[in-house]
Amino acid sequence: MQSKLMTHMIAGYPDRETSLAVARAFIEGGSSFLEIQFPFSDGTADGPFIQEACDKALKAGFSVNMGFKLVSEIAALSDVPVFIMTYANIIFAAGVKDFLSRCKESGASGIIIPDLPPDSDEKLYAEGKALGLHVVPVIAPSITDTRLKEVFNQCGEYIYASLRKGITGQYTEIGEENLEFLKKAAGLGAKVLAGFGISTAEQVATLAPHVHASIIGTAFIKEIKKCIDNGKKDDIYIILYNKIKALLKA
Amino acid sequence: MKPYYNNFFGEFGGRYVAEVLRPSLDELEKAYVDAINDKSFLEEYRSLCSDFIGRPTPLLYAENSTKALGGARIYIKMEGLANTGAHKINNAIGQGLLAKRMGKTRIIAETGAGQHGVATASVCAKLGFKCRVYMGEVDIKRQHPNVFWMELFGAEVAPVKSGTATLKDAVNEALRDWAWSFQDTHYLLGSALGPSPYPDMVREFQSVIGKETQEQVKELGLDVAAMVACVGGGSNSIGFFYPFLGKDKPDLFGVEAGGLSSQAGDHATRMDGIGKPGIVQGYKSIFLSDDDGQVIPTHSVSAGLDYAGIGPQLAHLGKTGRIRFEKAMDSEVLEAVRFFAENEGIIFALESAHAGAQAIKLAKKYSRDKAIIVNMSGRGDKDLFILARELDKDNWFSFLKKEINENAK
Repeated sequence: MQSKLMTHMIAGYPDRETSLAVARAFIEGGSSFLEIQFPFSDGTADGPFIQEACDKALKAGFSVNMGFKLVSEIAALSDVPVFIMTYANIIFAAGVKDFLSRCKESGASGIIIPDLPPDSDEKLYAEGKALGLHVVPVIAPSITDTRLKEVFNQCGEYIYASLRKGITGQYTEIGEENLEFLKKAAGLGAKVLAGFGISTAEQVATLAPHVHASIIGTAFIKEIKKCIDNGKKDDIYIILYNKIKALLKA
Repeated sequence: MKPYYNNFFGEFGGRYVAEVLRPSLDELEKAYVDAINDKSFLEEYRSLCSDFIGRPTPLLYAENSTKALGGARIYIKMEGLANTGAHKINNAIGQGLLAKRMGKTRIIAETGAGQHGVATASVCAKLGFKCRVYMGEVDIKRQHPNVFWMELFGAEVAPVKSGTATLKDAVNEALRDWAWSFQDTHYLLGSALGPSPYPDMVREFQSVIGKETQEQVKELGLDVAAMVACVGGGSNSIGFFYPFLGKDKPDLFGVEAGGLSSQAGDHATRMDGIGKPGIVQGYKSIFLSDDDGQVIPTHSVSAGLDYAGIGPQLAHLGKTGRIRFEKAMDSEVLEAVRFFAENEGIIFALESAHAGAQAIKLAKKYSRDKAIIVNMSGRGDKDLFILARELDKDNWFSFLKKEINENAK
């Protein structure tokens, strides 16, 4: 089965120009979906690498305005759908409806806000639907069957399944338990995007029959960080491009 | 069953958490409501309150201060005499018992000044839990004595380097830990904030302060005009005010950290018009944040008030006007510590001295037959290094130098 990827990046990390190069590498390397995270000062689902990258992007002057500008430039590059990921306070500060309108205007296809779950969502799901945006809930294996149905009833096409408990970044073993969970989610008819701790081609290949796409984030951030630490920012494009090719190969 | 559990206080509160934490909060809510309605649980709580914490804490007539200020009679609720030096232990022991009931074996906590960390570490030693306390690196540096106590109790103190390396970052780190560890771990949150049921639960365990005060006032036949408490996240103030919230009187004053100035980054006053409604760390309340919704850095001489958010019930009561919010500047706070030390022979914690400073300002506004009660939520032993540097720099530094020269060989 053909593997598909949703590739994650942080808007403004390490800076605006390089963010564009990252997006181009993702698109040209063969990514099927882009997840662009708007940094938040207090993102509680972020693992250490994403936290550090968000801190750096904020210090380098990331603003929500810059984020939307970047998204519109990236969305115009190709037909690869773009999803904006951020936290509740960023969307709440702007006003949920206004923020979603700006998502739409910028050409994004959907939005992912882990701390606005269905029923504590400040009308995110209803407003998103009204605008024709995918609002993608983030679920975890600990979810009960009743709650899973509740969540699915609120959401549209996609579900973001974190493959284990905890935060982003650390390696996830793919086995009976998380495959069972993915089956349950897919059984409801959702297109399952699955991530948290995916970094190898083997993992992507194992997941492929069970998911719509595998999500990879921290693995790319680590590569970007390595380039920056070695003073080789110009290599970021080619390294990420090759990495995606390699991830899709197995 | 008593309706102990409020998901929202007006527009504030709620449970805005990632799905991964939802089952743990559901489980906690259930266990909490069950326990708080169970006589045997309450009896065990009360017995530890008296034997382990040392309750009731006294209500002291601050006679010399009253004379010096020349106005209403000043009374001090001596929470700082509780075991481990602050009110934090009232909640720590309550949640500790609850964690035991839930079959948890490990406890995690965040701490700012270290008072909640020390209380949690002490309770974990007493009740037999593994304990890990997250503390910002900035706070570890300025409240080192408390780090030492936590470690002596057998707790592991985990330094937090992310963000501003203070209280809010310690909360983030504890939430991240809990997202992994919830099966065997209870997150013993120390303030009346965070996702429900924490604001309710913490207030309930802290309401012992207000209930005792109410009885003591009755016994002494006081005519109380005002009650004053400092407000960081707000656990001491909401517990102290709780029995009086449904009445018009007395006047209730919450005192925030005015810090160095009213410039962004110099203070932690969320309730004087600068703070904005927001959703951070699982709850909706008033936060110091910029137009994009990024939480902005705070400052206070007291690590415990150095926090960008405020408990949702307090935010609501500020909005309705039942609680009036004031601020005390760092300099006024140090002056208040000195004033009560010289006049009453007691040392306020820097946090609680914000309330002391407000009482000094208020004394003359009420007549002599009225009483003002200040909650001294903690005592100032932990602040030795800060106070000595601020109030007696030269002697203190020469002592430290001598100590190192003579003993560090």
